[in-house]
Amino acid sequence: MIDYLVSVLTEGSIFAIMALGLNIIWGWSGDFDLAYYGYIALGAYMTLVLTVGPATSPTTYILGLSLPFPIAIAIAIICSMLLALIVGAIALRHLRGIYFSIVTLGAVYVLYVFAGQFVPLFNGYNGLSGLFDPMGDFFGLDFSTYPFFYLGLCVFVLVVVLVMVTRLSSSRFGLALRSLREDERAAAAFGRDIYVMKLKAYVLGAGIGGLAGGLFAGYLSAFNPSAWSPVETIVLYAAILVGGRGSTRGVVLGVAVMVMGLQEATRYLPEIANQPSFAPAFRLILTGIVLVLFIRFRPQGLLPERRLRDKDPAGKGGAAIATEPAMSGPTLDTGTA
Amino acid sequence: MTALLEVEDLHKHFGGVQAVSACSFTAAEGQITGLIGPNGAGKSTAIDLISGFKVPDTGTVRFEGKEVQGKAPHRISRMGLIRTFQSPREWPGLSVLENLILASFERRRERFWRSLRGPTRAEKKHADDQVVRARAILEEFGLLHLRNERAGNLSGGQKRLLEFGRIRMAEPRLVILDEPMGGVNPVLGERMAAAVLGFVTAGTSVVIVEHNLPFIERVTDQVVVMAEGRVIAEGPFAELRGNQAVVDAYLGEMPSYDDDDV
Repeated sequence: MIDYLVSVLTEGSIFAIMALGLNIIWGWSGDFDLAYYGYIALGAYMTLVLTVGPATSPTTYILGLSLPFPIAIAIAIICSMLLALIVGAIALRHLRGIYFSIVTLGAVYVLYVFAGQFVPLFNGYNGLSGLFDPMGDFFGLDFSTYPFFYLGLCVFVLVVVLVMVTRLSSSRFGLALRSLREDERAAAAFGRDIYVMKLKAYVLGAGIGGLAGGLFAGYLSAFNPSAWSPVETIVLYAAILVGGRGSTRGVVLGVAVMVMGLQEATRYLPEIANQPSFAPAFRLILTGIVLVLFIRFRPQGLLPERRLRDKDPAGKGGAAIATEPAMSGPTLDTGTA
Repeated sequence: MTALLEVEDLHKHFGGVQAVSACSFTAAEGQITGLIGPNGAGKSTAIDLISGFKVPDTGTVRFEGKEVQGKAPHRISRMGLIRTFQSPREWPGLSVLENLILASFERRRERFWRSLRGPTRAEKKHADDQVVRARAILEEFGLLHLRNERAGNLSGGQKRLLEFGRIRMAEPRLVILDEPMGGVNPVLGERMAAAVLGFVTAGTSVVIVEHNLPFIERVTDQVVVMAEGRVIAEGPFAELRGNQAVVDAYLGEMPSYDDDDV
């Protein structure tokens, strides 16, 4: 039971990091990016080829180094960001809305097929494996204590990402990004360089995706194209939407509800004879129904994005409408979301 | 009187339509310049060309003596030339207060690394000062009680006022207002006329595109009349009434605007 809980929480932390990265791209700057899966996958692949050592026949892949896990993840993040820089530089230049989505979907499918067909790159459709218990030897852990360590590592990374994202969210950078989501032309009229800002957000989000991908590879100890297809991005979108688009706390809650909750709730469905794909299909159907209900009845999500609220009712300085004693300064709830 | 904005021989065509041709005029520092003309005269296109939202085929636009034609909108905006749009373009999902605060562009504070580091004491102080200033402006426009409201929930008239509030917050050298009186009732119109005059007091010169001629007559120092893509007359509004070309193209048989009910 405890093993089960540890694995659910580890997976949940990794998905939360993924969703937080995607939330920067879709929740803040407003781009419905379907290539996001590609940055997770590249992060996972790069982490694997940098840690598992040389390829032995019949498997083939590039690099085949045996770098320490953290260094491999750092390089994987950079690779994901570089890929996002290329895709974003093309797709964000003039395309918005559905056109942006189509181009990013096209880009990720090209990469998906390429990774699958071009075997020397990442061993094709068979994928990569062999990353067992990264950093386990370094800390002298055995197979019974290791899952706890990895859970701790994932939670620690999640907290670091949360602190970073929370700071950005309430900063001028985060606020200005939202103005792009709300009305781009007005943002340009008030001095914002839309292209550069959107590209920054895109690359940042992809970097977080690459980080999550690296952790995912360490968790699964393997990665291949069919294990995790581009459609899975929709699960992340569902989590963000249900939790509250743009809201940091909401996204974490959304992952808890839509990824961990739904997944675990449907795990013990009765098996139907000769229909092994029933449970996964039912999960997707349920995800769809929940999505539709939220879009219809609570589009802002469970924990909506918080706005900068000015709580001082008296005003101060130039505003001479003090009906209550003026406060020492403006009391601002800058909101973490 | 120096020219803040000089538009010279601007051309722009869309397919076979010559939207703006040989358009030249100037807007002086510290003045309110009206830009009028019938529908399709090329006023909106001219604004787009000046503010960088469209690129002219030929011609020059000089702002404070520097050529800006073909520059990106945000670059022109950062130089101190801000334009509004025909329909108010608030950031609907953000609060009224946030709409105001974001109107002042602060390049350094919006940098990624600086934002990631978190605000310093001085930056927090600055942010507080900004809120105080935003409040004063909202109070002036009668929007203070709505400061925590989603801007998208405001009425059409309130959105117009919010747009004006954002301009005050941004303190540009020149603002181009594109039909600010569209769909505005007379009482609100009074308030907006006062606000336009207030811009000049606050150091912002104004170019205003408007079909509401009593309003133009009242607030402008100088009027530019466009028709069929070109400027057909330039001068104080009172002089233009006697100009036959202007009357033919736009004013028509003009009633007297002495009555308020026109």
